[in-house]
Amino acid sequence: MIEPVLSGMAQTECDRKAPLLRAGNTNCGGCGMSIALNFMSRAIGTRRVQMVIPACCGIVTAGPFPYSAYGAPVVASTFASAAAVATGMARVAAMNGEDLRVLCFAGDGGTYDIGMATLSAAAERGEDLLYVCYDNEIYGNTGGQRSSATPLGARTSTTPKGKTQGKKDILAIMAAHGIPYAATISLAHPEDAVAKFARALDARGFRFLHVLAPCPTGWKSEPAHGIELVRLAVRSGLFPVCHVEDGRRFTIDVEPDFDRAALADYFARQGRFRGTKLDLDAVAMAIEEHWRDLRRRGG
Amino acid sequence: MSLELLSANHAAATAATLAGRANAKARGFGGGVYPITPQTECIELLCQQDFADEHGCEKGEIVRVESEHSAMAVCIGMSLTGARTFTASSSNGLAYMTENVFAAALYRLPIVMMAVNRTLGPPWNIWVDHGDTLALRDAGWIQFYCEDNQEVFDTILLAYRLGEDPRVLLPVIVCQDAFVLSHTMVQTDVPDLDTVRRFLPDFELPHRVSEQPVTVGGLDFPRETEVHRRQHHEAMGRVPAVYRECQDAFEQVFGRRPADAVQTYRMDDADVALVAMATTFSTVRTAIDAARARGIRAGGVRVRMFRPFPESELREALGRCARVAILDRDISLGLGGVLWAESRACAREGAIVQNYVVGLGGGDIRPRDVDAMLRDLLARTAAGAPEIVEVGS
Amino acid sequence: MPELLEIRLHGRGGQGGVTCAKIIAAAYASLQKSVQTFGDYAGERSGAPVRAYTRVSDAPITDRNKVYEPDQLVVLDPHLLGPEVFAGLKPGGSALINTPQSPDALAARWGAFTIATVDATRIAREHKIGSRSVVIVNTTIAGAYARVHGISLDVLRKTYAKLGLLGNFAAAEAAHAAVTIRPAHAAASPAVASGKPRLPDVLSLEAHVASPPPALKTGNWSTQRPRYQEQLAPCSAWCPAGNDVVGFVRALASGDAEQGATILGRSTPLAAVCGRVCPAPCMDGCNRAEYDGAVNIRALERFVAGQRGVASRAAAPSASSRRFAVIGGGPAGLSAAYQLARRGHAVTIFEGERALGGVLRTGIPSYRLPRDVLDEELGDVLALGVEVRSGRFLTSDDVARLAGEHDGLILATGLQELRGLEVEGADLAGVEQGIRFLHRVNLEGNVALEGHVVVLGGGNTAMDCARSALRCGASRVTIAYRRTRAEMPAIKEEIEQAEEEGVTLMELRAPSAFLGDGRVRAVELREVELGEPDASGRRQPMVTERRATLECDQVLLALGQSADHRLLPAGWELRDGRVLHADKALPVFAAGDLATGDGTVTHAIGSGRRAADLALEALGIDVVPFERPDRERAVPATEIRFDHFTTRSPAFATAVAAAIRRTNFAEVDPGLRSSFEANRCFSCGHCTRCDTCLVYCPEGIVRRADAGYEVDYSYCKGCGICVTECPRSAMEMTDA
Repeated sequence: MIEPVLSGMAQTECDRKAPLLRAGNTNCGGCGMSIALNFMSRAIGTRRVQMVIPACCGIVTAGPFPYSAYGAPVVASTFASAAAVATGMARVAAMNGEDLRVLCFAGDGGTYDIGMATLSAAAERGEDLLYVCYDNEIYGNTGGQRSSATPLGARTSTTPKGKTQGKKDILAIMAAHGIPYAATISLAHPEDAVAKFARALDARGFRFLHVLAPCPTGWKSEPAHGIELVRLAVRSGLFPVCHVEDGRRFTIDVEPDFDRAALADYFARQGRFRGTKLDLDAVAMAIEEHWRDLRRRGG
Repeated sequence: MSLELLSANHAAATAATLAGRANAKARGFGGGVYPITPQTECIELLCQQDFADEHGCEKGEIVRVESEHSAMAVCIGMSLTGARTFTASSSNGLAYMTENVFAAALYRLPIVMMAVNRTLGPPWNIWVDHGDTLALRDAGWIQFYCEDNQEVFDTILLAYRLGEDPRVLLPVIVCQDAFVLSHTMVQTDVPDLDTVRRFLPDFELPHRVSEQPVTVGGLDFPRETEVHRRQHHEAMGRVPAVYRECQDAFEQVFGRRPADAVQTYRMDDADVALVAMATTFSTVRTAIDAARARGIRAGGVRVRMFRPFPESELREALGRCARVAILDRDISLGLGGVLWAESRACAREGAIVQNYVVGLGGGDIRPRDVDAMLRDLLARTAAGAPEIVEVGS
Repeated sequence: MPELLEIRLHGRGGQGGVTCAKIIAAAYASLQKSVQTFGDYAGERSGAPVRAYTRVSDAPITDRNKVYEPDQLVVLDPHLLGPEVFAGLKPGGSALINTPQSPDALAARWGAFTIATVDATRIAREHKIGSRSVVIVNTTIAGAYARVHGISLDVLRKTYAKLGLLGNFAAAEAAHAAVTIRPAHAAASPAVASGKPRLPDVLSLEAHVASPPPALKTGNWSTQRPRYQEQLAPCSAWCPAGNDVVGFVRALASGDAEQGATILGRSTPLAAVCGRVCPAPCMDGCNRAEYDGAVNIRALERFVAGQRGVASRAAAPSASSRRFAVIGGGPAGLSAAYQLARRGHAVTIFEGERALGGVLRTGIPSYRLPRDVLDEELGDVLALGVEVRSGRFLTSDDVARLAGEHDGLILATGLQELRGLEVEGADLAGVEQGIRFLHRVNLEGNVALEGHVVVLGGGNTAMDCARSALRCGASRVTIAYRRTRAEMPAIKEEIEQAEEEGVTLMELRAPSAFLGDGRVRAVELREVELGEPDASGRRQPMVTERRATLECDQVLLALGQSADHRLLPAGWELRDGRVLHADKALPVFAAGDLATGDGTVTHAIGSGRRAADLALEALGIDVVPFERPDRERAVPATEIRFDHFTTRSPAFATAVAAAIRRTNFAEVDPGLRSSFEANRCFSCGHCTRCDTCLVYCPEGIVRRADAGYEVDYSYCKGCGICVTECPRSAMEMTDA
């Protein structure tokens, strides 16, 4: 890594003057979503943005009326509607010649599950939107229930013995829409992350970013370990860090070492996997298969 | 102005298009649209519009979305950023949209929606029934029920002026009966754009989302909600007065006066009244004329504006009537007609107020059916439980 | 118990306040009471203040309101304590508070109530309930509640069993035992206002066009705080001279060789020397060795010295200036003289040889340490005003006299006793002490050898002898060592370079006899096997009977040296580096190998520095005597986040080709051409302003400040990510 991190752009003229996520927000300590917002804030820089956040932790953290923990205009939409509300805002901005970026910032529940149809439709229409999914693999706002992003074996309040299904491949789903830019973001790789946020902000058309956002409360992990968990997920190949252009060209951005110890460590550090008889060999095999697919698509 | 042969669906789309074009100098016009019978013709016509204004400036965006839920969400996004918005739906589409219907009002956005009243399924039935929009009566929207195509057209224009008034800032739903109006073509007076512009000022949403950091629609604690609900309710309370101003302005610009929130027919000396909404009231008029010919002093009262509920106007209209029949083309299962439930208290004390639920699922209510109800009412010594009157297809 | 007992709990999201209320209710329920328990649900998150309520009665409970006038309070977080917590507490009521403070400490404010306290956070943390930053105290404090309010442990255990919480019961028992209770004052309870406040105004939605930032000070949520804390780097910990190694390397990394020289100059005047001949323990300690190779610190020290002399500039003698004599002009004596002189004291060095330098001049060959380099650094020391008397070896009488004439005396005479071999033929011609050989080569020059030279030993002297022998004309040189290469005390690079030059290494060989007629013609070597490790951790050589004869023309002994104490006047006794006479401490201190026998230049420098400090301290001058840092305190490699760093092999200068260098005494190692190697430094325990803490802080409240960073504690939630992610362990978590 080059020091300082992000080439020292944080808290400089290149950085956003006022933070996107203000201090005093109600997110839990060590919230991965908060970190994602801070990365995004740096990528936004001087760009003008409007955000749509559906019902989720991301909007609760804004705080009660009339306050806002966001340093940008935010519309709190109904749970399934982020991409559609944002569509309306982006269209109006465009027809009024305003140079601004409309962003959706939604959790996995609002993206993988209830918002999927809305998201898919907006992508298919090629709306000029940046959709960011902060994926904490759980319905965090309601206290920790399974979503279709919850990984195999994770205990949640609705899967007390561990989830028996795997996680949806959201990147492949979004890539299948043929959108100009889709990428996954690792919070443990700030340079790559901020560069991707910046690229996605600059691009036009529908852009999709998937951020693995550690949730110490839901994952039953040490708040201090969030970034390390992401790092382990990346190193082990569990969370591929890559991007897709026009839905076809897959490019790997961080090459994992497929370290089995890292994989084991990833699970061991999270209470949600404790006592769920997770088969590490099966997980490793699934990772291998997934990577075979990814590389095939790498062309 | 010109007379055009239009279905009420097309009348609504034409009025919305004119209202939209009239806002081109401001933030423009748009909406999310999704097809559902019998509303589809309306959005089809909307999708055929070219919104480029005379300067070639594109200020209209009709988004073909994947669901009614998103159709309203697009309107919300557009309205929040200052555009004049329109959408249309019906029946199960409205049911699916419901969450965002409530949201639109709670954001205090003057979105205008045309609803074609259609029976909710399953089993599937595409014909008229007011239950779909009456189910939204608590959504915080202004509701109008129209009696003919021209009224649909005029009410769309009125809805913008009324809803966008800074004293109001509420969405408006303009209802018309499935097929009876939606697919029935009659001559409709269509004004030109300049005339419409004279009636509709540029729309400016006071809380438009722009550059300032703000969270719109975030969290309210109980204290905030009790105030916000009160304010919303007070805005509803200002609607009748503002509506009268709109009627005046409309008359001034277009030369015809839109109907009042509560419209009466031959009520001056009536001692028996028939209360109905929408096209049912046209049939009621015919039946009243026939009854009058028989010497019965019957009159009619139409509730055109259902929200805010025009309680005092209705009370005044019913006046001294000793017998009141309330005709509902809807049913709140387990109770009876919705119109009856809400208006029965407006009759004078001691009056016999009888509910007739009629024409459910699109049954064709004919004058003889209304006449039978009138006879039934006159024969009564006391009101009974709501009667479900079956009229067949 | 009152007819209706009302309990209000104050906690933070994540502490389990609602569950605590439930435990209390369940315990009363098992006592056949009617109970009701509920929490306040809002947008609470881990750490946000929350309330929970429990009602207990003999009759059915019909009250559905929140509890406004409780009989009892349970406070799960001491930072919540304030009027709003005590609001409405009934006269005679009680409060159980999770705090390390005693009830008496809280009595001044809340003494009108019964106050009970227990450090539930500590107990829960000890029982590993929750995470380090979010400790879940509910099941713990409920144990204290039972004690305060007379619920038996038996009832409580059954309650825990029923609720599936038995795993936490040990913590409850601990709290039950630990709670302290202070009864209320007899005095009348203060009325705590709980009147209905005026309702606040609320902005209408259409007037809400801008949102102020949240009014929430989330800093109250945290139980722990991050702190920037410089830690000892292993390189600095391992440096016997006490150099601030990480400091000078960091200075170089930032392109400031000048600053690097200044930093080194505080602890050593001989950086150019050490940058060439130091065995560099710092590199053994370097955490980067665990990753992709230790930083080439030795070369960087040389680089600094090559840019600018490290010795301090002359210090003006002050009024408090004292006079010191230093006996021995080797590295220890020079170091002591330097430390004294740079503080403005008058120093005279007494050196037996004609020129200063000791072993640096007499022992170390010039191909390792060019004499102009040595002379330049010596010159810098003398430039501080140090006087030199050289060319005469002193006697013990001289020493006694000098002690009387000076305020302090430093003895730094080194190791003058050479270890020999008590074997047959040891007195044959051609068997010579390596040190003597090197002395001849280094001081006289023009020493010519021929034939096969065998060097016995494995230290740096052995390497110096072997390589010097080659340069003096030996046709072949063999080093015989009784252990293996891995145990050789010589610098690794020296061994490698010797081999490159053609020196043969014979491991596991011990000399048992020298053969020859008047002059040595062969050496008899016995094979050695390694046994159990000895006290130094090296495996003990076990000499076997297997022997072989190695023909040779010359033997050089490099078997070690020891101190010669004959220089001490009669009655002087050296104890822990200080000289005593008749149990009375004299202002005389030993330095270098005479004191420690550690045998390296860098040890000598550290020892000389310490002796100088002690001599000053003995005179009542305010100094903190240098102590070798405790290596155990150094940041271990496990605390370094390796993945932060890109792998890059260490930089080494390319030595002059072996075939050329073995023919002359010119310097072998040309040194690094740039200081880029310094950028490989992990900077263990030392903030580099790398922005990692700032970039990762979820709250965005780490800000750059003059010296480094500052954390806005009014918002810090204490998650600890900054500390975990700090690549170099320059931060730590402390209790808030």
